[in-house]
Amino acid sequence: MDFIFYFGEVFTFTSMLLLIGGTIGGLIMGATPGLSPTMTVALLIPFTFNMTPVHGLILLGAAYTSTVAGGAVSAILLKIPGAPANIATTLDGNAMARKGEGAKALQLSFISSLIGGLFGVFLLIFLTPVLAKMANSFGYSHTFWLAIIGVTVIGSLEAGSVVKGLLSGCIGMWLATIGFDDIQGVKRFVFHPALGGGVNIIPALIGLFAIPQVITMFAKGRFQTDIEQIIVKKHPVSAAFREVFFRKRALAIGTSIGSVIGLIPGVGGQIAGLLAYDQAKKFSPEKSKFGTGHSEGVIAAEAANNAMVGPSLVPLLTLSIPGSPTAAVLLGGLIIHGIFPGPNLFQQHPEVIWPFINSMLIGQILMCIFGIYIASMAARVAQVPQSIMAAIVLGLAAFGSFAVQQSMGDVYVMAVLGSMMYFLERFGFSAAPLVLGLILGPIAESNFVTGSLISTAQNGPFVYFFTGGLNIVLVSIVVLSVGFSFWSEITAKRATH
Amino acid sequence: MKKIIAALAISLIGLSGAAKAEYPERPVLLMIPYGAGGATDFQARIATIPAGNDDMLGMPVAIINKPGAGGRVGWSWFANDAEKDGYTMGGYNVPHFIAQSIKGGVDYSTDSFEPIANWGSDPAVFVVGKNSKFNSMADVIDFAKANPGKLTFSGAGLFVGHHIAALQIEKAAGVKMLYIPNKSGGAGAMKAVISGEVLGGVNNLSDAFRAKAAGTIKILGVADLERNAFLPNVPTMMEQGLDVDNTSVNFRGVMVPKGTPQAIIDKLAEVVPVMFAHKRVAQKMKAGGSPMKIMNRAEVLDMWAKRQTTLEELLKGL
Amino acid sequence: MNIFQHKISSGLVTFVAVMVCYVSFTRQPADAYLFPRVVSIFFLGLALWTFIKALMGRSKAGNGLSINMFKNMAPGVLISAMYIFWAAKSLGFYTATSIAFFLLLTSYDPAPHSEYKSWFKRIIITASFVAIMYALFAKILVVYTPRGMFI
Repeated sequence: MDFIFYFGEVFTFTSMLLLIGGTIGGLIMGATPGLSPTMTVALLIPFTFNMTPVHGLILLGAAYTSTVAGGAVSAILLKIPGAPANIATTLDGNAMARKGEGAKALQLSFISSLIGGLFGVFLLIFLTPVLAKMANSFGYSHTFWLAIIGVTVIGSLEAGSVVKGLLSGCIGMWLATIGFDDIQGVKRFVFHPALGGGVNIIPALIGLFAIPQVITMFAKGRFQTDIEQIIVKKHPVSAAFREVFFRKRALAIGTSIGSVIGLIPGVGGQIAGLLAYDQAKKFSPEKSKFGTGHSEGVIAAEAANNAMVGPSLVPLLTLSIPGSPTAAVLLGGLIIHGIFPGPNLFQQHPEVIWPFINSMLIGQILMCIFGIYIASMAARVAQVPQSIMAAIVLGLAAFGSFAVQQSMGDVYVMAVLGSMMYFLERFGFSAAPLVLGLILGPIAESNFVTGSLISTAQNGPFVYFFTGGLNIVLVSIVVLSVGFSFWSEITAKRATH
Repeated sequence: MKKIIAALAISLIGLSGAAKAEYPERPVLLMIPYGAGGATDFQARIATIPAGNDDMLGMPVAIINKPGAGGRVGWSWFANDAEKDGYTMGGYNVPHFIAQSIKGGVDYSTDSFEPIANWGSDPAVFVVGKNSKFNSMADVIDFAKANPGKLTFSGAGLFVGHHIAALQIEKAAGVKMLYIPNKSGGAGAMKAVISGEVLGGVNNLSDAFRAKAAGTIKILGVADLERNAFLPNVPTMMEQGLDVDNTSVNFRGVMVPKGTPQAIIDKLAEVVPVMFAHKRVAQKMKAGGSPMKIMNRAEVLDMWAKRQTTLEELLKGL
Repeated sequence: MNIFQHKISSGLVTFVAVMVCYVSFTRQPADAYLFPRVVSIFFLGLALWTFIKALMGRSKAGNGLSINMFKNMAPGVLISAMYIFWAAKSLGFYTATSIAFFLLLTSYDPAPHSEYKSWFKRIIITASFVAIMYALFAKILVVYTPRGMFI
C-alpha cells in the first residue's frame, strides 16, 4: 500500500501541470495519424533532460497512457487508426460514427480505456512480483504460438470473404519479409532502394488506412455534396457509462486479454485490441452485429489497449526487459535519470517510481475527462468538408510517415502501399488483416527461427514447440479458435439456406 | 528548365550567403542504427546533451533511430542516402560495421565513412542466469567440451561485437558451441539468459552491469585486455586461460558520410571530443554504467584500420 | 463488367504470388528464405483459389470500379503523386504541401471558381494548415523535413 503515501508528489503544482499538459498533448498526438505512442515518448525524452526524475517520468507516463487512448479518435471518426493498437477500434467504431453515433463511440472508447487502464495499473501496483515471474516464463516457442493465435483472428476481421481476408494476411506477411532479414542480415525482395530498410509498420499503417480514404473522397468528384451527411447525435455521458457496465462481458474480455498480452515481452500492445475484439465476438450472442457498429467491439478493443499499458511495464521495471517498443524508450528515459530498473527498484527509488505509477492512475482519469470533452466536439470533425479533409489527411500522411525515421523512402512506401490498397479494397480485400500480417510476420518468423536453432541443442523442434504446459495451452487455443471459426461459418451457412 | 531552377537556387543561396557562413546554423541529426532505448541509443543521447551550449556546436543534436538487422539498415542508409552537408551524422559501432563489411552483402565499409570522435568502449562479457550451475569460464568450456554444439548462448546478432567475442571464445577453447543471434538486439539476448531460454550469453558490459545490480545474472568473464573499473571482481578471459583479446570491444562514436566538406569535418573533429568530455556527460555515463573512452579523429582512424586487419584475419576461416 | 474486373484483380494478385514464390525458392541462402517460402506457398494457394473463383464468375465481395470514378479521382491522384514523389523532396515539404493543398482544394471543393471569395477561403485554409504543420513538426517535434530549394 506504499503507493498511497506518494500521491503528495503528484499533486504538486508542477506535477499537475506536467500531467495535464502531457495528457492533453498525448491525446492530440495519439489522435494524429502517424504519431504513435513510441514516437511521442521518444520525442519527449530530450525535454525531460532538464527536469527532476520525478517530473520527467510523470510527463512520460502521462503521455504514454493518453497517446494509446488518443489513437481511438481518428480510428473512430476517420477510420484511420492512430497507432497499430487501434486497428480493432476502426472496425466497429467507424461503423458507429457512420450511423451518427460518433460521439457515443468516443465516449465508450474513453470510458473503457479508463476502466481497462486503471485495472492494468492496479495489477502493476499489487501483483508485480507474481506477474514478473509469468512474463519471464514466456520463451521463443510461446511467443511464436501467440503470433499464430494472432493470425487466427483474421477470420473474425473479414466481413466479406474469409479467403480474401487470409490472402490479405499473407500479403502482409510477405511485405514484412522485405528488407534486411533481422537474424541473417541478408537482403530480401529489395527491388527498389527505398525498400532497403524494409516496410516500417507506422508508414504502412498510415498508407493502408489513410490513402484509400483520400482516394475514395477524390473518386466522389467535385460537384457531389461535399459534406457527407453524417449527423452526430448527442449522447449523454451517463448513458455511455451505463452502456459500458451493461456490456460486462466485452469489458471483462478486453481488460483481461489486454493485461495478459501487455505482460508478454516482444508482442506489445499492437495485437491486444485485435485479440480482444476477436474473443468478444466469439463469446457474444450478437456475433452478427460485430462490424456493423456494435458497442461491444469498441469496448473490448479499447479496454484491452489501455489495460496493456500497466502490465507492459512489469518486465521493464522488475527485470529491466522492455516488453514493447514504447517500454524500450521509457527504459532509456529512466536510465538517463540514473534509475536502473530491477527487482530492487521499488526499495531503492520509491520516491521516483511510486509517483510515476500514481501519475499513470491520475493520468487515466484525466485522459477520460479530456477525452469525453473531445467527444463532444466530434460533430465538428464530421462537418469538415470532404475536399478539405482529403487534403488534410494526405498532408498528415506525408509528414507523419516522414517523421518516423526522417526518411523519404518511408513516404514513398506509404503512398505506394496506400494506392494499391485502394484498388484491393474495391475487390473485397481489406487493410486490417494485411496490417495484422505485417505485425505478426516478423514476430512469428524470428521466434520460429531462434526457437528451432535452440531446439537443435535440445530434443528437436517438435519437443521444443509442442511440449510443456504453456505450449499445450497455446496450441489448444489455436486449434479451438480455428475450429470455432469453421463451426460458426458452417452453422451460419445452414441458417441462411 | 532545370538550368533556370538551378540559377534561381544559386542566387537564393547567394542571398542567404551571409547567414550560411557559420556551421551549424540549424540542429544536426545523429542517426543511430539501433532501436530507441538500447545501450547505443541512450549513450548517444547522453553524449550529445551539451551540443546546444554556445562553446560546443551551438545547436542541439537530434537523434533518429533506424534499427534493423544488427545495424545494417541504418548504415546502408547512411552510406547511400544521407546528405553530405554535415547536418547528418551517424553513430558507428566497431567492430560491428567493419565485420559486416568484411562478411559482405552490405554496401558500406570503412571507406564509406569519415570518423569524427569516439565516446565509449563497451567490452563484451559472458553472462549466465543467476541460478546457473556455471561459475567460471572453465565450467562453461568443460560443459561445451563434453556436449559439443549443445551449449546455447545468446548475442545481439550475427557479426556484431558479441558474435566476434563468441567466435574468439570458441576458437581459443577449441570447442563448438551454439550461438543464438537475437532479433531484438542486446536486450532480447539478455532476456533469453535471464529466463533460461539459453544457457549463457555474450552481452554488453553496460547492460550486464545493470542486470547484475538487479540480481538477475552472473558475469563470468570480460573480453578485454584488462579488468573493467565497473566490474573490478570479474576476471578477463585471458586470466581464465582463454586467448581472447579486445577485438570484440564495442567502440561507439560519431561519423559523417564520405564526401562531407573537409572544413565541416575539421570543425566537428575539434568540437565533438570536447563535448564528450563535458562533465555532465561523464556524470550521466558513470551513473548508467557505461564505460567512456574519448578518442579524437586521428585515434579513431588508427583504431578502424587496426580493427580492419584483425577482423579480416579472424573472419578469414569462416 | 464487375466480373471481368474481378478476374483482372485476382489475376494480378496471383501473378505477384507466383513471383514471390519464384524468388523465395530460387534465392540463396536458403536459411534466410525459410519463412518467405512458407508464406509464399499459402499466398499462392489462396491467390489461385480466388482467381479460380473469379474465373468461374463467383466473386462477390467488393464493388469494383467505374469509369466515372476514374475521371473523378484523376486530378486528385495526379496532384498527390506529383506532391509525394517529386515536389516534397525537390521543392521542400512546406512549399510542396502549400501548393498541393491549394490545388486539391481548387479541384475538389464545390465553391464556385468565379467568386474571389472562394479563392480567398482556399488560401486561408491552406495557409493555416501549413502553419499548423510547421508549428507541430518543425517547432514542437523537431523533425527536419527536406527543405528543397525554398524553405
